Amino acid sequence: MDKLKLNDLMKRIQKDRDEMAFSQIFDLFAPKVNSYFIQNRINLESSEELTQEVLSTVWVKSNLYDSKKSALSTWIFTIARNKKIDFLRKNSKINFKEEDIREFLYQDREIDLIEENEAKKQIERINNELDEQQKIIIKMNFFENKSHKKIADELEIPLGTVKSRIRHILTKMHGFLR
Amino acid sequence: MNGTAVKNQLIFDFASGILGPAKSLFASTYLHLNSNASRIGSVFENVLGENLMDNENILPKSLKYTDCMNNENSKPISNLKDPVTTFFGDLNNLKWKQVYKGFKEYAAPINDKDELKLIKMDPGVSVPIHSHGGKEYILVLEGSFCDEYGEYSKGDIQINDQKIKHTPIASNNSGCVCLSITEKDVIFFGRYGSFLNLFTFIKSFFKQK
Repeated sequence: MDKLKLNDLMKRIQKDRDEMAFSQIFDLFAPKVNSYFIQNRINLESSEELTQEVLSTVWVKSNLYDSKKSALSTWIFTIARNKKIDFLRKNSKINFKEEDIREFLYQDREIDLIEENEAKKQIERINNELDEQQKIIIKMNFFENKSHKKIADELEIPLGTVKSRIRHILTKMHGFLR
Repeated sequence: MNGTAVKNQLIFDFASGILGPAKSLFASTYLHLNSNASRIGSVFENVLGENLMDNENILPKSLKYTDCMNNENSKPISNLKDPVTTFFGDLNNLKWKQVYKGFKEYAAPINDKDELKLIKMDPGVSVPIHSHGGKEYILVLEGSFCDEYGEYSKGDIQINDQKIKHTPIASNNSGCVCLSITEKDVIFFGRYGSFLNLFTFIKSFFKQK
């Protein structure tokens, strides 16, 4: 279908709410939009729901389309892309962080009092005395903000082991910080 | 540091929809505030729109065109609304965390590998030691800040990699509000700031017991 024909269909939708014009737009775009979502690794069911949302937007917000500004395919592409972004955001569950390092940082007024040199020296010591696996766990927990559960999954060790190792490491580190 | 290529990459990645939730919100705000970025985005979107037409056809199994016509009552969308306000609401109503005097931040509740934060700096306040293994992206939403490399105002973006050392200072008149992205591939013990964080954490951890 060429651009003139598409623009004509859109005009009929905008002015007359022409359902037959919309059915033609639907037939052309729904399979392409659906395949866009599937290609983006969204499951079949959700892809169809998102396709429905995209085509509904085309119908309901048809007056927002301006053929002088962009091709219809561009407009529909951006609607699909934005739906995909929203979908991924809504489906990324917010993990409760068991120990968010920042909670402690912000409450701790003493941060101003720590001498840079003192910190540097102590940390060098930590770096020397922890073994590789201890470093990995501390890195995952405090710098990457991964939950204990996630660490357990990634390292393929039991959750209880992760918890006890972190406690052990902190106790050990506390020892050198005295 | 502010290579056009890096900015264009961000715009292109956003246009094609491959960015995660945090960077998508960041980039859409950038396009909203910066007309030049928005123009470049449109160019990319035109190309990507044409590509959509080359997609293979996968028919939705249980969807008819009439299923897409019963949403007449859905709320009107405005393309002009600022993505930051849409997502966060009124910034004055957020529970800002004071990191230190004159410097507040609010972390977006988005689960992503990148961390999205709002940063608010009072006039004349400078940024403390902080560390990132990955890139850091900063977009000015209100006011301005400057550093050794120049001044950044509303809609300007700064992208720093880990080699960059700079000391941003908020404008003396207005202070500044920024949106920032921190890529979370932190290198263990690689940066001094991380040491300081860890050190502080351990101290406070044991104080609580």
